[in-house]
Amino acid sequence: MIKLAIYGKGGIGKSTLSSNLSSAFAKKGLTVLQIGCDPKADSTSLLLGGKRLTTVLELVRAGKPFTLEDMVTMGSMGVLCVEAGGPVPGLGCAGRGIITALEALEEKGAYEVYKPDVVIYDVLGDVVCGGFTMPMRKGYADKVYIVTSGENMSIYAAANIAMAVENFKTRDYAQLGGIILNRRNVRDEDAKADTLAADFSTEVIARIDRSELFERCEAEHKPMVELFPESKEAGQLLAAAERILN
Amino acid sequence: MNQTAQILSIYAADTSGVCSALFELGGMTVIHDASGCNSTYTTHDEPRWYRGSSMMYISALTESDAVMGNDEKFISDLTEVANRLKPEFIAICASPMPAMTGVDMEAIAFDVSHRTGIPAFSVKTNGMHSYIPGAANAFEEIVRHFCEPAERRKGKVNIIGATPLDFSLKGSVESIKQWLRDNGFEVGCCLSMGCTLDDVRAMSSAEVSLVISSTGVKAAEYLKREYGVPYVKGVPIGKSFSRVLADGLRSAAAGQEASPLALRTGESIMAAVLGESIFSASMAAALALDKGISARVIETVGESDLSVLSPFDLSAPDEDVCERELAKHSLIIADPLFRPIAGKGRFVPLPHEAFSGRCFERDIPDLINRELTFLKETGL
Repeated sequence: MIKLAIYGKGGIGKSTLSSNLSSAFAKKGLTVLQIGCDPKADSTSLLLGGKRLTTVLELVRAGKPFTLEDMVTMGSMGVLCVEAGGPVPGLGCAGRGIITALEALEEKGAYEVYKPDVVIYDVLGDVVCGGFTMPMRKGYADKVYIVTSGENMSIYAAANIAMAVENFKTRDYAQLGGIILNRRNVRDEDAKADTLAADFSTEVIARIDRSELFERCEAEHKPMVELFPESKEAGQLLAAAERILN
Repeated sequence: MNQTAQILSIYAADTSGVCSALFELGGMTVIHDASGCNSTYTTHDEPRWYRGSSMMYISALTESDAVMGNDEKFISDLTEVANRLKPEFIAICASPMPAMTGVDMEAIAFDVSHRTGIPAFSVKTNGMHSYIPGAANAFEEIVRHFCEPAERRKGKVNIIGATPLDFSLKGSVESIKQWLRDNGFEVGCCLSMGCTLDDVRAMSSAEVSLVISSTGVKAAEYLKREYGVPYVKGVPIGKSFSRVLADGLRSAAAGQEASPLALRTGESIMAAVLGESIFSASMAAALALDKGISARVIETVGESDLSVLSPFDLSAPDEDVCERELAKHSLIIADPLFRPIAGKGRFVPLPHEAFSGRCFERDIPDLINRELTFLKETGL
């Protein structure tokens, strides 16, 4: 089982990339479990025809018994989708909510029952508290991949996340797997991403072009490898999946 | 009112269970909590505190450290103290505050172990459960970290689940050991009253484990899963049930299924036995066999091993439910603090330290393998 966590600045395309990577893994015949770790609960939207899932924390909050099947929904290309969700907006503690949700999944035996080949944790933009490091804690993701564009704010955010991963070395947490460049066509974009990767002794493992095809996928609520399987973008996503597998 | 106790006390918390489970094993147990005083976990719940030393500490977590995520202070304090005291192991567990802020206790233990070279582990607690999961998790962790493969020894029996919270220092645990010897068994590790880490290391050499409290089930399960040591649940209370239980141990050692607590029939029930499930079910079995009194168990912790209950038993941690059920019985055997909700039935006090602390410690009888004389005052 390969377990990876996708981190990066808010709005950089983590959920879009996570869903497209999940589909790319699924296209290779792998069983994929994608877990959205953001209170907005919109990570898996692309895989579910735009439908909203009942989140794990909604089930917990209801206070009634629930099953693993209540938490997990099969989406496009057979990808298993989960949304951790969050507390009532403006109240509670979102980070602690992520911990509760991931523990609930584990307690219900999600990993043993579905036996996924790949687990993707799609995590909220910034590592603002302990709860959002949960997906990189021991027993969860093995590798952290950081999504960034060449925009300065995105690079700074990526560097902060990479530094957090570095600081957690003594804790036996997930290691940095690499940088995924989600191009926004800014100047020196590739060079900036390469410098960032070199600063943290890692590599840019994938470079995804900016493309209006992603907007069309979003409008039709379908992943790239399903809607435009022959496109260059689908090829880039499949290559990224292959690189992660290897 | 559901889930509300107006009259009753509450059971000792999971953190107290950890301290009690690990008290004698030579480790350093640290609760990550705001208090700088460990009285909540040890002096109130732990009678051994006054009779021997143990390395039990509180981290003195501050609001600022919790909010700022200053784990480094806790880690460096643990490292400094451990380097000075050289404990056999370091066990850490969380009070509600770190549990709520999601402190990664396992990662802290990993880091401290790396810095000190001393085995360290976290025991899962959040300060909001009863002593049962706390002690159960502690027993499981200690066995998981220290038990080693060993050659099987014929007739050797582990005792698992011994803490003063369930078996006060009134001779019961010694009596269980003597009862095992009288039945031709060799006493192995008694986890954890009167045992050492070396005894824990050799637990896999036992032919069978005797689980005397719900706190021992997880560790016994681990030994069964990892080393093939079967286990039997029960406490040798009274004369007849003690014989049944000894036979159960022999059967399990011979590779047969043994569930002595499942033999109760539940016909013409008059009595109710309240408390932790394995002890209470054993008491109910003893009442039936020695006195002809049919009794049901009303499990009142809410986190006991419910698998030992029969269909006519009940788990009723809720005060209202418990009070309603007690009105159906003409004889009630329970901790004295249940008396106010016991209704009109005859009430036989049987103090349970996990519930009433040391308030009634001197009245706790040793019931192991002997006549149930504590019922005499009731005329039974």
